[in-house]
Parts: sequence; structure tokens; C-alpha cells
Amino acid sequence: MTAIALTTAAPSRAGWFTQAGQVLRRWLIATLRQVWGPVMSLIQPVIWIVLFGQVFHSLGALPQFGPSTGSGTGSYVDYLVPGILMMTVLYSGAWAGTGYIDDINSGVMDQYLTSPVARSAIITGQLVQQLIINLAQSLVVLGIGWLAGARYPGGIGGILVALGVATLLATIFCCASTAVALTARSQIALISLSQLIVLPATFLSTTMMPSDLMPEWVQDVARWNPMTWAVELGRGGLSGTYPDNGWWQVAGLTVLAALAFVWAMRSIRAYQRSV
Amino acid sequence: MPENHAIVARDLVKVYPGRGRRPAVRALDGLSFSVPAGRVFGLLGPNGAGKSTTTKILTTLSRPTGGSATVAGHDVAAAPAAVRAAIGYMSQGASTDPLLTARENLEIAARLRGVSAGDARGRAARLLDEFGLAEASTRPVGSFSGGMRRRLDVAAALVHRPRVLFLDEPTTGLDPEARAAMWAEIRRLSGQEALTVVLTTHYMEEADRLADELLLVNKGRVVVQGTPDELKAALHGDSLRVSLIEPDAAAVRAAISRVAGLRDVVIEATGVDGVLAARTDDASAAVGAVIGALDAAGIRFGQVAASHPTLDDVYLHFVGHTFGPSTGSGTGGGSGTGALTEGVAA
Repeated sequence: MTAIALTTAAPSRAGWFTQAGQVLRRWLIATLRQVWGPVMSLIQPVIWIVLFGQVFHSLGALPQFGPSTGSGTGSYVDYLVPGILMMTVLYSGAWAGTGYIDDINSGVMDQYLTSPVARSAIITGQLVQQLIINLAQSLVVLGIGWLAGARYPGGIGGILVALGVATLLATIFCCASTAVALTARSQIALISLSQLIVLPATFLSTTMMPSDLMPEWVQDVARWNPMTWAVELGRGGLSGTYPDNGWWQVAGLTVLAALAFVWAMRSIRAYQRSV
Repeated sequence: MPENHAIVARDLVKVYPGRGRRPAVRALDGLSFSVPAGRVFGLLGPNGAGKSTTTKILTTLSRPTGGSATVAGHDVAAAPAAVRAAIGYMSQGASTDPLLTARENLEIAARLRGVSAGDARGRAARLLDEFGLAEASTRPVGSFSGGMRRRLDVAAALVHRPRVLFLDEPTTGLDPEARAAMWAEIRRLSGQEALTVVLTTHYMEEADRLADELLLVNKGRVVVQGTPDELKAALHGDSLRVSLIEPDAAAVRAAISRVAGLRDVVIEATGVDGVLAARTDDASAAVGAVIGALDAAGIRFGQVAASHPTLDDVYLHFVGHTFGPSTGSGTGGGSGTGALTEGVAA
């Protein structure tokens, strides 16, 4: 009688893509049921574009911004939109880890960790959901920018480059947020830490200001700030004029994205060891 | 490993390292036991006894500091993936996403565990039906009652037809009606020969009704293992219980010491209520003698009851008494008392 219990066939293990796909499916359904979250987070870029566009409007007259496009709004909005695009990515990505903290507190995380699912599939499924949200938000930001008077002479190809760079930057910040969430396991710690990083990362870069207009020490910091790399690449794509060291910046962002992913993977393993 | 055992645990030790001023905790201290396949196995003990830690190690969630264990024939440390494919686990927390519907949750749980898309749909529908959740299957789980959610958690642990099902305190926090419904589900599952159920609980009644075999643990060690009947039979004679009102433990003890034929005397004083429990070979004589002694000493008391041994008495005998903070003297207090009171209340 007892032998029956041990000879019942166990189901075969799901393939990696099925696993990641099902994790993604879960997060996407949850996103659609709570779509106000990503929508609300779009109010911020609207305010930034309108506010900064107005406040810093006169900057557009400076020679650093190049000749006006003649659209009447001045070219500062052209300069600003790629910066706001990356800023949105930063703010949105910094929150990516909150889902894990909810899962740890509710017990859903224990289910993942006791099912035959690859840890990389858990991380990847959730990351892809974040990147999809991020892509949708980026498209909306570009649309808002266009309505505010910005033009994208780089064309479709350039827009795709800007979106690709935004995705790279999102990967870095989502994975970092995930790693911090799995380590700190507290929403408050995660949010305070992101606030601590996001604002300086934005202002110590060329998000809103060309480096010529900044003090020298800020210029030095900005040169090595990944935010600067992303903003300048995005600006290059949208304007059609890429920065000289563009390939180095792409390589830098790619390496950081890979490192951040590894960090997230190590964090989920460290989390399990601590249970 | 013997073939007829679903679980074999040898000398399990788990030490949670201290952090800062918090000292290290030795949750398991050399726990060894085996679980026969196809039965409902109850893991019983007071809070902090190591029940959940044991479950976490056997489900591969947590790694043992020492010792080894096999589940469904696979070693938890060497082959965690094989163990995970063979088990279902209902933890004390939730298993499902509150934003997803019951059906979505079950389908995703099944697909993640290797069930094909078509089978997952059929399996989810059948489980929702079996667990009385078919009508609510398209509602987000966040709108479910506590009892519905716990039933769904059990269903989610069964989607891939596991060989060993772990239920960690499945009825804690449920109202009596939901608890009765959950018991019915677990009894139904116990009829399935191919399934071994490991049930963690600190409710005596639950263990008595559901478990074929029980393991009583305390302070990370095995206290006793056996079927409920065996454990009860091991306590000779009858049990005597007197509920006390605003008791003075010392006065009660003094009064009771004059009554002959009482064993295993335990006096509990928690706030305004208390319990006097004892064992005796002649219940009818002892009831009168105890009432007389308490009256003579002017001690206020309520109900007096004599009965055949229950699991409460087994628990009291092994945890409240032998392992209590004041071994032998019988006056309860501290952690043993808290757990005992809980058991009595249940």
C-alpha cells in the first residue's frame, strides 16, 4: 500500500521560459488591475516638462543649446525631454523592489522558493514586467514632450535608440531596487534609499543643464554618472546627433545592467539562506 | 531510507544566528523522526517548539544547520529541486496574489510547477469545485474571507498532485465554521492513499481529529511519537479538571496535598482564571475529596470534571508538566503555561 505513495509520477519541471513567462503573467495581471499606479507616476513627468520648460525657458537662448528649431517654443524643451524621459525611468525603476517586499510579508515569496522554479526566472519575469511598464511610460513622456513643443529630428530610428537606452537604464535601477528590497526587506528603507540616490543622480548629470554651465566639480561627477550617459545617448537619438563617446556610454550602461542583474540574483539567494 | 516512509529526518539542528544584541536561537536541537507514507502526520507542540522550522527545512525553504532529511526519497540539501517537485506547501502566510482571481492564481501555480497549459486549466477548475470556490473563481482573491483564502491556499498546494502536502497551522485565525470546513477538506484529502499530509498545529482537537500519527515536539526536541490512541492509553487512569476563580496557587496546592490518590498535579494561574488538573485511578472518589478539600480551604472554584485522558492531558503530561519550568512541583508558569492555556482553550 505504502509503495503507491512513492511511485506516483511527479510532473515534469517547467521550462525556464514557461517559468519566467508565468511569473511575468502574474505581475502583468496585477499591473492591469492596479493601473492607476503607473498612470499616476506619469503626472510627475508632465509637471517637470511644463514646469522646467517654463522656468528654464530663457536658457534656450544660450549658445550651448544650439540654434532654435524655429517652432517658437525654443529648443530648451528639445533639450529637456530626453532628460525627463530618463528621470521618469529612474523614479519608476527605484520602486521596482516593492513587489518583493509585499511578497515576503504576505508569504507568496515562500511559495516561489519552495516550488521548482529557477531563481533567475523569478527575477527575470518581474524585471520584464517592469520594463514593459517603463516602455509604456517612456512612450507617453515622448508624446507629452511633443505636445509641449519638442521635436525629434532623429526620426523613428532615433526614438527606438532612446527607448532602448531607457530600457537599459531601467534594467539597472529595477535590479538594484530588487537587490535592496531583498536585502533590507522594508518599504521605508527602500524608499528612503532611492530618494537618497535618485535626486543627486539627476542633478549631478546633464539631465537639465549642459555641463558647460555647471561648476567644474559637478562636470567631473557628471562625466562618470550613468544618468549622464543615458541622457546624452537619448538626446543623441532624439536629435539625430550622437555624442562622441556614445559607444563607451552604451558599453558602460550594458556592463552596469549585467552587474545589477547579478546583484539581484545574489540577493534572492542570500534571502533564502537567511530564512 | 525505508521505502514506506515519506519523510525521514535525522538529528536536525537549526540555529538562527543572533543579530546585534539579539542572541542566537537554537530552534531545532537534534530532531529525528520518520513519517509513514499515505498518512496524516500531526506535528504538535507549543509556540516556538520548532514546528514551523521543521516544516521550513522539509520544504527546502530553510537549510538545516546540522543533520539531514529526505522527503519523498530525495535529500533536502542535495536535491532540493526534486523535493520541491514532489511537495505542496501551505505556509502560515498567503500563497496567492490578492489582485489575481482564484482561477488565475491556481493556473499560474500549476504552470510554474510543470503542469501543461491545458491540464492546468482543468486541474484549477476541478480544485475550485472540490473546495467549494467555483462560484468565487473569477473574483480577485483580495475580496475573499479568511476561510475561503485558506481553502484556496490548500488548493494551490495541490495543483501539481504532490506526494507530500505540508499544512502549517492551516486553521489558525479561522472562525469555528471555517475551521470545521477546513477539517472536512483535510479529512477528505487523508482518504487519498497516494498523499502524505504533514499537519502542524497547536490545537489539540485538530490533531486528535485529523492525525493518524502524532509527533509531540518541545524546545526543538522530540517528546513522544505515536497514534493519538497510543498516546492517550499511555496515561493510566482518568483526568480531573477544576476551573479556579482568582486562585492562589500556594493555597490550592496546600489544600490539595491532603487529597490522596492524585498524580501529575498542575495548577495554572493566569490572571483571574485558573485550572487545577490532576490524574487519578479513581475519579469518582477523587472528585468528592477535591471538592471537600477546596471548600474546607475556602477556595473559590467553578466546574469540576473527570474524564478519560484526552490529547490535552497528553500534552499537559509531556509539555506542561515534565518540560514545564517547574518540573515535578507542577505549578505552571512561563512559556509552558501559555501554550497549555492555548491548548485548553482550543
